[in-house]
Amino acid sequence: MGLVESSKLPKPLTSLLNTARKYSLWAYQWGLACCAIEMGAAFASPRYDVMRLGVIPLPASPRQADVVVISGTVTDKMVPAIKRLYEQMPDPKYVISMGSCTNCGGPYWDSYSVTKGVDQVVPVDVYIPGCPPRPEALLEGIVLLQQRIGREDMAERWRGDPLVVQ
Amino acid sequence: MSDATGTTDAAEAPEAEEAPTDDARQAVLDQITAALGDAVLDSHIAVGRGLWVRVERDAWLEAAGHVRNGLGYHFFDYLSAIDWMPSPWGRYEYSAVDDGIRQFDPNAPVETGVAGGDTRFQVMCRLADIRRRQPHHNVVIKADLPDDDLRVASLVSLYPGANWHERECWEMFGITFDGHPGLRHLYLPGEFEGHPLRKDFPLLARLVKPWPGIVDVEPMPGEPAAEGDGEETEESS
Repeated sequence: MGLVESSKLPKPLTSLLNTARKYSLWAYQWGLACCAIEMGAAFASPRYDVMRLGVIPLPASPRQADVVVISGTVTDKMVPAIKRLYEQMPDPKYVISMGSCTNCGGPYWDSYSVTKGVDQVVPVDVYIPGCPPRPEALLEGIVLLQQRIGREDMAERWRGDPLVVQ
Repeated sequence: MSDATGTTDAAEAPEAEEAPTDDARQAVLDQITAALGDAVLDSHIAVGRGLWVRVERDAWLEAAGHVRNGLGYHFFDYLSAIDWMPSPWGRYEYSAVDDGIRQFDPNAPVETGVAGGDTRFQVMCRLADIRRRQPHHNVVIKADLPDDDLRVASLVSLYPGANWHERECWEMFGITFDGHPGLRHLYLPGEFEGHPLRKDFPLLARLVKPWPGIVDVEPMPGEPAAEGDGEETEESS
């Protein structure tokens, strides 16, 4: 990727690169609670057929993944695992936060054990509201993420500091 | 009932008094009482449903051992504890707003459940005899724990399945189980401070934003919209 780092990427090439990236998203499934059922319906069932959007939902490891869908109730005990998951993913990497629990704690807003939003731990690109969201909502979230990827300036992202979780 | 109707009720009254007896559970209770003597503090029989026995804390292990080896209750169902203190944070499901913090009275009498209780913390376990199908026999053993010495004998030597239950009870209530092979955190992160299932465990989110109560009650299907709806919203606002 020397061409990208040299910051002289012509615009059509950026567009081509982004188009290629956004239609080959390898999505890692991080299902923690009931939202994972909806995620499974969206990712693994022929009814919703997420592969028509170019999403490959079954990477063997976070090291192959471009995007992780965190769906379900994130507890404080799970936080170290999510940090490690995020650090293992190769840049550029994206996070979709699915469901009220992952967004803000949801119905467990006063719990002693639930993290009040996964964005306290890792940067989140797309939030999907709902308790749980329907599979269509997850598909829309993926489409929004693809639009975002399509507008990205790859050179700028690559030149910047790597994303490091505190 | 007045005397005038006494004649007609006389035939029914004996039946009504005979019905709430449970010979099978009474027999079990008698056996436990015979074995433990004065260590049995209180008991309760729910006819056809269950048997509760409250024992001295020092007889906790002995009671479970007798129920297991003497009576054949080999199935360990669960072990847990109860904190009978009224919650100072006062969440009442049907209250319009959370006024528990203001209304909390630390000297209010503590209500305990069946088989009574003298202290704030009560440890309990449910043992069952799964060989007898009809009725499905089980006994709940309770013991009071004094506030300044929250410890009780471990049941792991009798029921290996009690291991994780006691670990959970230890981290959630702060009750130590003497003789447990390894009391360490089961659910909570290792650095967690406090015992979250105690009633006085502070929920920080509640301090910032009190429990809003049920703010958007919808009428049940078929019911007309309650007249009190408007008043409730005025009160809560």
